[in-house]
Amino acid sequence: MVKRLLIIDDDPDYVTGIKSILDNAGYAVEVAYDPKAGLQALQSRPYDLLLLDIMMGRGAEGVMIARKLRKDSKLREMPVLIITGMREQIAFLFPGEPIHPGFVKLDELVEKPVEPSLLLEKVNHLLQLAEERKAVPA
Amino acid sequence: MESKPRILIIDDEEVVRDSCAQILAGGNYELASASDGMAGLALADEFHPDLIFVDLKMPGISGFEVLEKVSAMDSTIVMVVITGFATISSAVDAMKRGAYDFLPKPFTPEEFRLITRRSLEKRRLTLETIALRREKEMLREHFAHIVSHELKSPLNAVQQNLMALEFEVGGSLTEVQKDKLSRTKNRISDLIKLINSWLRAISMDADQMKEAFTQVSVKDEIAKALENMEPYAVRKDVEIVTSIGEPLHSVMGDDLSLSEAFGNIIGNAVKYSRDGSKVTVKAEENGNDVVIAVKDEGIGIAQEDLPHIFDGFYRGKSGQAVASGHGIGLAVSRQIIEAHKGTITVESEVSKGTTFIVRLPKISPNSLNTKDSKVTKEESP
Repeated sequence: MVKRLLIIDDDPDYVTGIKSILDNAGYAVEVAYDPKAGLQALQSRPYDLLLLDIMMGRGAEGVMIARKLRKDSKLREMPVLIITGMREQIAFLFPGEPIHPGFVKLDELVEKPVEPSLLLEKVNHLLQLAEERKAVPA
Repeated sequence: MESKPRILIIDDEEVVRDSCAQILAGGNYELASASDGMAGLALADEFHPDLIFVDLKMPGISGFEVLEKVSAMDSTIVMVVITGFATISSAVDAMKRGAYDFLPKPFTPEEFRLITRRSLEKRRLTLETIALRREKEMLREHFAHIVSHELKSPLNAVQQNLMALEFEVGGSLTEVQKDKLSRTKNRISDLIKLINSWLRAISMDADQMKEAFTQVSVKDEIAKALENMEPYAVRKDVEIVTSIGEPLHSVMGDDLSLSEAFGNIIGNAVKYSRDGSKVTVKAEENGNDVVIAVKDEGIGIAQEDLPHIFDGFYRGKSGQAVASGHGIGLAVSRQIIEAHKGTITVESEVSKGTTFIVRLPKISPNSLNTKDSKVTKEESP
């Protein structure tokens, strides 16, 4: 079954780059260009993985999305790949914490720009982990 | 102080208040006066003076008290003490309590005008310094924001699309076309790295870093740095030779920052190496230190540039303008090394090469204890 991915990122030019890599790898990719549209999409249909930008809109609105996901009993099981160009800002927002902030239960972080092979590797890995979790009922 | 400078005179003698007012009349000032300390303090609060002349000996609260209270209220107000009992000790006392200068009675109009001009100049400079400091802080914040948002985001988008393009059509390109693509990618990657080090330089907080110190293997961090630098060295056809002494103690530190510092220094050596030459990275123990030396056979640094090599935003005038972003990386490295209680020094000879030497205190059995013992250690004199 084709895996459905959602990208939430407010930079359309950037999205073109990662979307084409993922399209080519055979994923069904949808895009939301702002946090609000992103949340609406997440609530209206299921996705296998979310690719989430952090610095959007007036600040770190990606963090807000991540926090909402963490509280949502259904969505918290969805793997999240955080893609951010703002490593320093992450450090500002979470002083003392490691660069990878661990927003949600199942997530990873890569920095922009990301090598295509690394992107696909991370996406694959997260999807696989999610599969395994589903196979073994808690 | 765009408006007229405001001057407040606090003296119990009417004749002094009047003559001061007379001397300053015709000058472009706003004047107010009070005949005792309490009235003076009340006026200081509502008149917002730039300069206060205050008599030391007055009935009621003394001039000293006025000095202290005004200082506590607004330390930028310049205060000058007037007194008939001019002694060195009372002058020193007044200065200690915040007076800027001292005017012994009797004084000539010229003396009074002069001290007024000088004091107002002092007030102007004080306010200007505060404004500049605030502006600098704002610039720093805005700069970080502009750099990350307005410069880095577009570059990220460009690079991501180039990567996608290469990934998708790379197989069907000719060697010449591939070469163009990879040159473009490399230059953008360098630019992104430069921006990252700018961001690092303006956002680094040594105290925050120290809180997260753990035991770090110097060997591992050098290995990480080398791994990052390797593609760059290959591109420049520079061979990196490493020699790591055994045993090599760990140090207390932040692993990411240390590998970044090593990376900067090694990258710098590669950058200024001649194509086809060698960079040597050596790490060994020396007494209580772990010493890391990075030696290149490059163009070297002129004697006159050496003292500035670790200053931010500085690049050598002599022969080093070839590559970009030289200064920031070294400045950040020094900040990192010094936050680790280490030192970084440089030796260089023009056209022969440069050696950077980093010394870090090696871990001792004592420093392996828990955080609590570290705190007590710092508190003891």
